[in-house]
Amino acid sequence: MSNVILKNSAINVVNLEKSVTTQEGTLTILKGINLDVKQGESVAILGPSGSGKSTLLGLLAALDTPTSGEIWLDGVALSPLNEEQKAALRKQKVSFIFQSFMLVDTLTALENVMLPAELAGVSNAKEKAQAMLVRVGLSHRLTHLPKQLSGGEQQRVAIARAFICEPTVLFADEPTGNLDSVNGHKIADMLFELNQESHTTLILVTHDLLLAKRCERQLVMDNGHLQEDTAHTAPLADAKEA
Amino acid sequence: MELSLAWRLFKRELQQGQLLLIILAITLAVLSVSGLARVSERLQVAITGQASQFIAADRIIDSPVKIDAAILTKAEDLRLKHVTNMQFNSMVYSGDKFQLVTVRAVETGYPLKGDIELTSGKTKALPQAGEIWFETRLGGLLGYPKTIELGNSEFVLSNEISRLPDAGFNPFASSPVVLMRMEDVAKTGVIQPGSRVTYLYQFAGDEASLTAFEQSVKPLLNSTQRWVDVQSGDSPIAGAVKRAERFLLLASLMGIALACAAIGIAAQRYCQRHYDVVAMLKTFGASAKQIRLLFGTHLLLVTLMGIVLGLIGGVLLDLGISYLLPPEIAAYSPPLTRPLLLGVSTGLISAFMFSAYPLMRLLAIPPLRVLQRQLEGLQLGMWLHLLLSLGAMALLGYLYSQSWALTLTVVAAVLLLGVLLSVLGFVMIRLGHSVGMKTTNPLQLALAGLRRRARQNAVQLVGFSAALVLLLTILALRQDLLNEWQKQLPENAPNYFLVNIAPDDAKPLNDFMTAKGIVATDIYPVIRGRLTQINGEALISNEQSEAGEKGRVGISRELNLTWRNTLPANNELLEGHFNQAADEVSVESGVAERLGIAIGDKLTYVIDNQELTVKVASIRAVHWETLQPNFFMIFTEEALAPFAYTSMASFYLNDQQATNDQSTNDPATNGQALSADGTPKDAVILALIQQFPTISIIDVGAMVGQLRQIIEQVSLSLTLVLALVLLASALVLIAQTEAGMATRQRELAVLRTFGASGWLLRSATGLEFALLGGIAGVLAVIVAEFALYLLKTQVFELNVYMHWPWWGIAPVSGALIVALLGVWRCRQLLSQSCSELLKADS
Repeated sequence: MSNVILKNSAINVVNLEKSVTTQEGTLTILKGINLDVKQGESVAILGPSGSGKSTLLGLLAALDTPTSGEIWLDGVALSPLNEEQKAALRKQKVSFIFQSFMLVDTLTALENVMLPAELAGVSNAKEKAQAMLVRVGLSHRLTHLPKQLSGGEQQRVAIARAFICEPTVLFADEPTGNLDSVNGHKIADMLFELNQESHTTLILVTHDLLLAKRCERQLVMDNGHLQEDTAHTAPLADAKEA
Repeated sequence: MELSLAWRLFKRELQQGQLLLIILAITLAVLSVSGLARVSERLQVAITGQASQFIAADRIIDSPVKIDAAILTKAEDLRLKHVTNMQFNSMVYSGDKFQLVTVRAVETGYPLKGDIELTSGKTKALPQAGEIWFETRLGGLLGYPKTIELGNSEFVLSNEISRLPDAGFNPFASSPVVLMRMEDVAKTGVIQPGSRVTYLYQFAGDEASLTAFEQSVKPLLNSTQRWVDVQSGDSPIAGAVKRAERFLLLASLMGIALACAAIGIAAQRYCQRHYDVVAMLKTFGASAKQIRLLFGTHLLLVTLMGIVLGLIGGVLLDLGISYLLPPEIAAYSPPLTRPLLLGVSTGLISAFMFSAYPLMRLLAIPPLRVLQRQLEGLQLGMWLHLLLSLGAMALLGYLYSQSWALTLTVVAAVLLLGVLLSVLGFVMIRLGHSVGMKTTNPLQLALAGLRRRARQNAVQLVGFSAALVLLLTILALRQDLLNEWQKQLPENAPNYFLVNIAPDDAKPLNDFMTAKGIVATDIYPVIRGRLTQINGEALISNEQSEAGEKGRVGISRELNLTWRNTLPANNELLEGHFNQAADEVSVESGVAERLGIAIGDKLTYVIDNQELTVKVASIRAVHWETLQPNFFMIFTEEALAPFAYTSMASFYLNDQQATNDQSTNDPATNGQALSADGTPKDAVILALIQQFPTISIIDVGAMVGQLRQIIEQVSLSLTLVLALVLLASALVLIAQTEAGMATRQRELAVLRTFGASGWLLRSATGLEFALLGGIAGVLAVIVAEFALYLLKTQVFELNVYMHWPWWGIAPVSGALIVALLGVWRCRQLLSQSCSELLKADS
C-alpha cells in the first residue's frame, strides 16, 4: 500500500493509529494503517468481530479522531478540521448506510429520505426524495412509518436516503447484516446498481464474503492491521463462522 | 429548513403520542399555577370579604380621640370609603327603670361591610334622627318601652337589633348596645370634655388603595390608637384565614415542585429518545447550530402547547370551581393578568430550565454513536442539573409566593428530601438480598432486577417517594386544619352566652335550664380587677411611658379574672403546673410575653380596692379563635373567695331542641307572644329574660353561622389544592414508571426472546415495582412525619402526633399503585413482538 498522497484519491490514509484507554491500560485498535481508495472505486473491508473494522469506518468518515496519522477525504486533510468543519465536509461529500437502518421512527419514509437534503439546504428535497423512493421501488410506501415497513423496505429507505445528496463517498456498515439472504441479496443489488449509476466511491464493512466479492477490492482487518486480501482465506473462514 | 423539520417532528411525535407525558407535565404545572392563582385569589378575596364583615369594614382606626383630618383626606384621595363611629357607655332611662348601655353612634354609610341584623331581618338602613335601635335584651330589661331617655334627649325605640356586624365576640360586654345617629349625640349632652369615648374610623376600598393607605397612615398612629384589619387577631376568623392562606401557598408550591419533577423526568426521557436521531443528523452533516435550532424549536413547540393547554385547563378549573362556589363569591372575578402571566412564565421556566441539562447532553451526543451505540458523549456534572432544577424551582416559587423566605425553605426542603431519599433508597436496595438472574421465579427475578439496577432504582425511589411525601404531607395538613376548625366550631358550639349571673340566681337558673333540657357548658365566676405590680414594681400607663417615665407598661383596663381548679379544655399548659397552692395564678402566654412575666413572679392586683398578691405557677396558651370564654388570669377559688363575683355560662340551643321541650306549659314560655317572629327558640330565650332580668344574654348564633360558612369555603379550597397535588403526584409516578420501564425494556426483550412467558415477566415487573413502591412508601412516611413535625410546629401551630395508620397504608398503597402502573406498561410492551421490542430498544 502506498504512503504517498495521491491526487485522484477519494480516500487516502497514512500511518493511521487509534488507541483507547481501558481499565487494563492502553489498547491499540488500529496499527499503522495505510490506504488509498480511488474515486468511484468500491472497497470491502472484511475481518472478524473486534478487529477494528467499525473503528476504521468511523475514522474514514470523519466521525472519530485518530490517535496519530492522517486521513484525506476527497483531497481534504481531516486532522486540522474541528467538529463543525468535519460535519460540513460530511454534508457535502459523505453518506451512510447502517446495519440498524437508523431511520427516525416518528418520520415517514419520504421524510426520512428528505432529511439529508434538507440539512444540505437542497430546495427541491421532497421531489428528489420521492424520485429516490420510486427508484428503490417504494413509491407505494411514501407515507409509511419505519415500524410499518419490513426490514428490507427500511433498508431501501436508508439507501434512498444515502444517495439523495449524490455523495462522493458512501460508507456502508453491514448493510445486509439485519436482513435474510433473499432480502440481503436484493438490497446488495440495489446498492451496487445505484453506486455504479452515480459513480460513488463505496466503502463497505461486512462479514459477508459474497457481498465483499462484489466490490472491486477486498481488504482484511486483522488484529489492527489492514491488508489487501488476495487469497480470500481469512474472510472465507470468518464468513463460515458467521 | 430547521423550523419546518422541527414542526414536522413535533406534528409526527404528537400524532404518535410520544410527547404526551412531557406536554401533560407542562400542562399540569401551568394549570396548577394559573388555575390555583385565580381560584385562591377568588377565595381569598371572598374569605377576606366575608371576614371583613366581622369588622364591618376592611380597616379600622380605633382611637380615644379624634384623628387628624389629614388622615381622612388621604383616604378620600385614595378613593376609600369611610365612616366615623363613636362608642361610649351611658345610662338610659324609661320611667323608673334604668340600664347602663353601650351607645354606638353612627354616620350614614355604616356599615361599610355586612348588614345590621334586626330581629325582623337584615338591613342596610340606619335609625332616623330621634330614633334609637336597641339590642333585644335591653327591651327585656326595660320592659319594651316606646321611648327612652339618653342624657337630655328622648328617643323613640324603633327597631330591635339581633347583632351589629362589628359586634365581635366578647362575652364580657355585659351592657346591651343601642344604635343612634351621630348627629343626635350633641343633643344628649352626655359627651363632655374628659368623657371616655372610642372613635372608630372605618375604611373600605380596593386592596391596592388600602395597602397604600396603611403604609402612609399606620406609622402616624400613636400607642393609644389601634390599626385593625380582619387579621388583627380580634376577629375569630383571623386564625382560620391566616392558616388557610399559608396552606394554600405551601400546597401550591408543592404542587409546582411536583409538576416540575414530572417535567424533569419527562424531559430526560424525551432527550434520551432523541439520542440516535441527533447522532444520525450529525453523521449526515448537520451543524451544531442546525441541531440546536431544530431541538430548541421542537421543545418550544412542546412548551407552547403545554402552556396553551394549561391556561385553558386553568380557566376551566376556575369556571368549574366558581360553579360550585356560592354565587356571591363566584360573582367576584379577579383580573386575569396575574394568573395568565404566572402560567406562561411557569411553562417557559419549568420546561426550559428542567430540560436544559438533558438537552445539553442531547446536543453533545457524538456522531460516532451511529456505530457505537453505547456512546453518550459529554458527561456533564449532575450538580449542573441540580443547580438548574433548584434554580427553576426557586424562581417559580418566588414568582408565585413573592416570598424568598418561604421559597428558599421549600427549595431547601426539596433538596434535603432528595439527598435523604437517594441515600436511604440506595442503602435499602444495596442491603437487599443478592440473587442471581433466575428466570423461573418472578420474585427472584424481581429481587435480582432490583439489585442489579440499584443506581437507577435509587433515582426512581426518589421520584416515587417525593410524590408520596408531598401527597401525605398535604393530606395530613388538610385533615388537621379541618379538625382544628371543627374543634373551634363543633356541631353544638354554644350559640348563647349568659353573663352577670348573680350567685343567688345560680340555683334557679340551673333549675330553669334543667326544666328546658338545656345543658350549660362550664360556668366561670368573673371578678374584675386591675394588675398593678409585678414583683413589687408598679406598672405604668401608656401616657406615663410616653411622658418619659421608666417602667413596665401595664394593661390599661380592668381584667376579667376567674378561678378554676382544672385547666380549661381548650387551653394548653406551656410552663409550670396548673394552680395547686391557694396563692397561685396561671397567666396567658401572650400577656406574659408582653409584660415579661415568668414563672415564680409575684403579681399584685387591685380588686374592690383591696390588694391581692399571688405567685405565677403556670403559663398557658389560649386559643382565642374558639368561641369560648377565655381568661388572661386564672386564680384558685381560695384566692378570690373574699371578693364578690358574678358568673358566666354558655349553652347551645336550636329550634329543634326548644320544640322538644316538655315544659311548654311553663307560664314563662307564654312570653312567646311578646316576640316579633316567635320561633320556639326565641320563646325560650324570652322566658329566660323575663325570669332572670338581671342576667345578660348574648346571642352569637349568627356569628357562628357566618364563621362556619367561611370555614366551609376555606375547606373547599383545601380540597381543591389537594386534588391538584394528587394529580401532580400521579403524573410523577407515571413519568417515573415510564422512565423505569425504559431501563427494563432491553432485558424484557431478551427474556421474551428466550421464551419467558408473559405471566413471568409481568409478575416479575409487577413485583419489582411493588417492592420499589413499598420501599418508597416506607421512606415517604418517615420523611412526611418529619416534614409534618416541622410544618406543624414552625408554621401552622398545630398539635404534633404520629400518623400510625399511614405506616401500614402508605407502603401497601405505594406498592399497589406503582406495581399496577408497572404491570400496565409491561403489558403494553409485551403486546409487541420480540423483534419489535428489540428493534425499538436498539
